[in-house]
Amino acid sequence: MGDEKIIALNNVNLEIYKKEIVCIIGTSGSGKSTLLNMMAGLEKPTKGEIIVNNMHLENMNEKQLTKFRQKNIGFVFQSYNLIPTLTALENVSLVLTFRGVPRKIRDKKATEMLKNVGLGNRLHHKPSEMSGGQQQRVSIARAFVGNPKIVFADEPTGNLDTKTTFEIMDLVTSMSKELNQTLVIVTHDNEISRYANRIFHMRDGKIENVEELLLKGDVVN
Amino acid sequence: MNSLDLIYMGIKNLWRRKLRTFLTVLGVIIGAASIIVMLSIGFGLTQAFEDQLSQWGSLTNINIYPKWSDPGIPGGGNKEVYLNDEAVASFKAIPHVVAVNPIVETYGTVINGKYITSIPIRGIDPKVMQDFGFEIAEGRLLEVSDEMTAVFGGQVAMSFYNPKATVWREPKVDLMKDKLMITLNPNYGWSDPNLDTVNYKSYKIKVAGILTQENYEHSYAVYMPMADVKKMIKDKEKAENQKPTPNKGKDEYQNITVKVDDMNNVKEVQDQIKALGYEAYSLNDQLEAMKQTARSIQLALGGIGAISLLVAAIGITNTMVMSIYERTREIGIMKVIGASINDIKKLFLFESALIGLLGGILGIGVSYLLSFLINRFGGSFGNFMGTGLDSKISIIPIWLVFASLAFSALIGVISGYYPARRAMKLSAIDAIRTE
Repeated sequence: MGDEKIIALNNVNLEIYKKEIVCIIGTSGSGKSTLLNMMAGLEKPTKGEIIVNNMHLENMNEKQLTKFRQKNIGFVFQSYNLIPTLTALENVSLVLTFRGVPRKIRDKKATEMLKNVGLGNRLHHKPSEMSGGQQQRVSIARAFVGNPKIVFADEPTGNLDTKTTFEIMDLVTSMSKELNQTLVIVTHDNEISRYANRIFHMRDGKIENVEELLLKGDVVN
Repeated sequence: MNSLDLIYMGIKNLWRRKLRTFLTVLGVIIGAASIIVMLSIGFGLTQAFEDQLSQWGSLTNINIYPKWSDPGIPGGGNKEVYLNDEAVASFKAIPHVVAVNPIVETYGTVINGKYITSIPIRGIDPKVMQDFGFEIAEGRLLEVSDEMTAVFGGQVAMSFYNPKATVWREPKVDLMKDKLMITLNPNYGWSDPNLDTVNYKSYKIKVAGILTQENYEHSYAVYMPMADVKKMIKDKEKAENQKPTPNKGKDEYQNITVKVDDMNNVKEVQDQIKALGYEAYSLNDQLEAMKQTARSIQLALGGIGAISLLVAAIGITNTMVMSIYERTREIGIMKVIGASINDIKKLFLFESALIGLLGGILGIGVSYLLSFLINRFGGSFGNFMGTGLDSKISIIPIWLVFASLAFSALIGVISGYYPARRAMKLSAIDAIRTE
């Protein structure tokens, strides 16, 4: 890399509304993951504004961003990102641990959430003892257990077969609808984008066009 | 994140890597134990010095002598001070002084049939005998009502001899039962009685008791009530036709001993007495020098121990840094799902502190074991120094136990600080991309 300037995103402007399910679709290297990381406060833009619920993420320090993520954001990753030494239950309840929720309450909530994703009988299994689809369900339970305002899903089905892909997508969209959450999905898979209200097509760090599929919710910015 | 969860998570993480944790803890154990054992030898040495000195006399006593004044030099502003009752009263008024013991000392001969011994005779206030550490081996100490009664030093019985005998034989004396006389005649047994120009009196004395042999200071002397000794001296002066000198402007006592409540206050009291214009000595003077020596030895020994603890500290840092490499992804995940950088820092600091503390606790156990073995099989300093005292080589004071616990935990925290900062600064997004 050296001194070479890498521009991942260039002149991207988008608004996502409350309770909306949006999909950012593009080929690899189109900047879709970078965009997601920035919206989630994981990466900082060199220029520009990111406003979530009237908060400017680009001005926040690491401490404030942590707090912000803790309160507002849930994640689902392509590679699940579960902690291999913890059981499904422990992985899910870890989110609440960092918020200082007492053990009893967080275990109850985590158990409930795992039952919702259909893993009521896998509570004490470690990630290595579960299939990819099951691991992704744990990760979905983890993303929703803290009751965040927005859930970001980065290629949530990238490692899964077609059948499981649809199961997982059904699960994640129905849960976000049920819980009135905003869901942002990043993918390169056209089939998956059909689950969204709006689809942003990205290429070379820019949004090419926006496709509207269904009605939208309230404006958040 | 609350502390209970933090502790649980930290212990779990250490348990996950049992062998490595154990080896790191082992390093701390060796480090902590070597420091504690080395220091304990220093404490043993100090104690041995103290024991040795207390054999020479009590460490809480200050001996006061009259100021030696040079008549050639006009008293440079110093007022004249004497060892008299006034001085006794002024010493009693000094804080921390428990008892004051003025002593009138003269020299005389104790006669037991054909055996005699020439010996210092000391007048003492019977009330303070207990305070000044007179320990009785046989009989009892002097009492206020005693008259012409003596308590003998522990070694006195051995010093009797027959002045007329040509060959030395072990004297057969039993001080508790024999009939004893005392005289202040300085030449008794040596000069021809017929040629004596002075008619010294001899006094019958009763024996109250014999002291133990522990204290050299008391071993070779006869102790009698003050009034009796003063009277004998007066008789002697009369017999020698000396004019009784007036009490004023004269030392009434040969020396005065002051007892201080605690060893640590001796220096202070001694300085105050010196400021009053007396010469004051205590074993503390020597003890200070000896303690200084012990301290330097201890410092050198402790330094050796400190090196092993330093190595152990580096071991902790190494373990924690390695642990961060392994757990990079995990740290990233925790950050993304809401762990604050403070949580991450605390988690790593707790883990390293726990390694330190565990090492400290076990190190103390090992130290006690080593200390026991050294004392059991290593003989004693008394043997090395030839005092025959059974002082331990290794002494672990209780404060050292707590200090080393706190210190080893602190070492853990310090060693863990750099790794913790590293973990804190890991970029969450880079960390979760690590495979």
